[in-house]
Amino acid sequence: MTILLQVTGLTKQFAERVVVDGIEFTLEKNTSTALIGPNGAGKTTTLSMLTGLLKPTSGSVKMVDGDLRANIGFLPQYPQFHPWLSALEFTEMAAKLNGVPTKKAKVEAQKTLEFVGLGNDLNKKISTFSGGMRQRLGISQAIVHKPKLLLLDEPVSALDPVGRREVLDLLKGLQQETTILYSTHILNDAEEMTDQLLFLRDGKLVEQGTLREVRQRFDEPNYIVEFGTEKEAQLFASQSELIGEVKGSHVYIEIIDEKPSMQELLQHLSSCPNKIRKVERQTASLEEIFMKVARKI
Amino acid sequence: MRGFNILLQKEFREAWRSWKFLWIPLVFALLGMSDPLTNYYMTDILNAVGNVPEGFEMLMPELMPVDLLQGSIGQFQTICLLVLMATFVGAISRERASGMATLLYVRPISFSAHFMSKFIVMSTVAFISILAGFAASIYYTVVLYGTFEIGPLVACFFTYFSWLLFVIAVTLMMSAAFKTVVATACAFAVIFIGQILDSLVGTFWTISPWKLPLYGVQLMRGTMEMSDYWWSLSLTLVVSLICVSIGILTMKKNASMTKI
Repeated sequence: MTILLQVTGLTKQFAERVVVDGIEFTLEKNTSTALIGPNGAGKTTTLSMLTGLLKPTSGSVKMVDGDLRANIGFLPQYPQFHPWLSALEFTEMAAKLNGVPTKKAKVEAQKTLEFVGLGNDLNKKISTFSGGMRQRLGISQAIVHKPKLLLLDEPVSALDPVGRREVLDLLKGLQQETTILYSTHILNDAEEMTDQLLFLRDGKLVEQGTLREVRQRFDEPNYIVEFGTEKEAQLFASQSELIGEVKGSHVYIEIIDEKPSMQELLQHLSSCPNKIRKVERQTASLEEIFMKVARKI
Repeated sequence: MRGFNILLQKEFREAWRSWKFLWIPLVFALLGMSDPLTNYYMTDILNAVGNVPEGFEMLMPELMPVDLLQGSIGQFQTICLLVLMATFVGAISRERASGMATLLYVRPISFSAHFMSKFIVMSTVAFISILAGFAASIYYTVVLYGTFEIGPLVACFFTYFSWLLFVIAVTLMMSAAFKTVVATACAFAVIFIGQILDSLVGTFWTISPWKLPLYGVQLMRGTMEMSDYWWSLSLTLVVSLICVSIGILTMKKNASMTKI
């Protein structure tokens, strides 16, 4: 794997407040990285420094081959466009400003707008666009010049479920040829397209790794046994030698070092007189991990 | 000046589509024609409005064509400047505050190109505006009063245009340096309070950008001390250049103020 971007000791301080505190990570070529963390963790500030809009107090951002500013595409959380321009004009301008030759710019802009699903709105004024269309236009202006690195700040959080699905699919289509770094607090999205996770909390990078690594680190697997009624569940929990926690008609049994195994559990359950509806082994969702990381001190 | 042509095209498109090339010249034209018309028809207006006491004799001053042009320039100096400055004082600061600048600033463009594209569009609007204003004023003056000599008239026009370039440079510099509200206050202070000061205590000096509009008129009257004129003109252009340079620097420095 080749490294595309190297971030070392990135720090941003506003007056007394340290918003981003010495974070370090690398991005490998053609991978997707999700930057997650609670509100105010410093995600947007980090992205702003990567784009060069914000000067870091200390630390550096280096693109391994080539100039950073010429090779990024950026989508802010709430992209604002010049309302007098049409979608095509804006995208074309974006391409040209990034050095796409004039003759090619229009063709590229058109292709990109078709790719993001604005093929029928090329010549409409941006002021008439809906939120979803703006987000698509935002993506098109970020990718029209085929940047090596695509930085997206909350690319889908302002969209309805349909729009979110479509934009996610769009981004997945880009994954093959672009390195993507995006911030989000919608964890399902992160779960869906991520090679690397960066957990930010209070400006510090508290967790990083692949989804699988992070999951292993924080996983506290459970068996869930579902009974017909709450009473039956409580009865089972009080009689069984397995330590279980009752929530409604469910009994949660913690797995510690792979004990008890599924066989042991099933053996145990076979003698149970009550009706069992479901037995399941559950692994932590990203959301649970998120909560754990967010609270971890 | 990377990206200059592209940004210039964008600025022109915006100014064109928001009708700036139409309504600002229109304001200038209306105010330009108001002075010759109201002066010429003053007695008729007063009679029509009434309230003139019986037997009241009014001595109307004998006006030369150049007096009326001076009157029109006086109009441009207040309301038209106000319109021009108020329209453009947010050119940079508002783009930052709204976040529209973000999508431009992340690209490898030069700030001088960005600043100059705005400067040129503003200057073009200003040029067309005073062209319309002068034309309206001169047309009615010529019809109602008398003709001008063309040479001094052109000199006066370009002298006034140089003054406007100074106004634009100051306005854009403030817009680059501050938020819109502060920029507005500062730009208005420099231009309008400068004018007031210059008219109050301006007799103590003869070289100042704020005197340029007046000097343009004096060129037409033939009463201009030419060395004062050239010094003022040069000073104005130099100060404008300095304002442009400061504007470009502060625009770059304040790029991080853009809303993300």
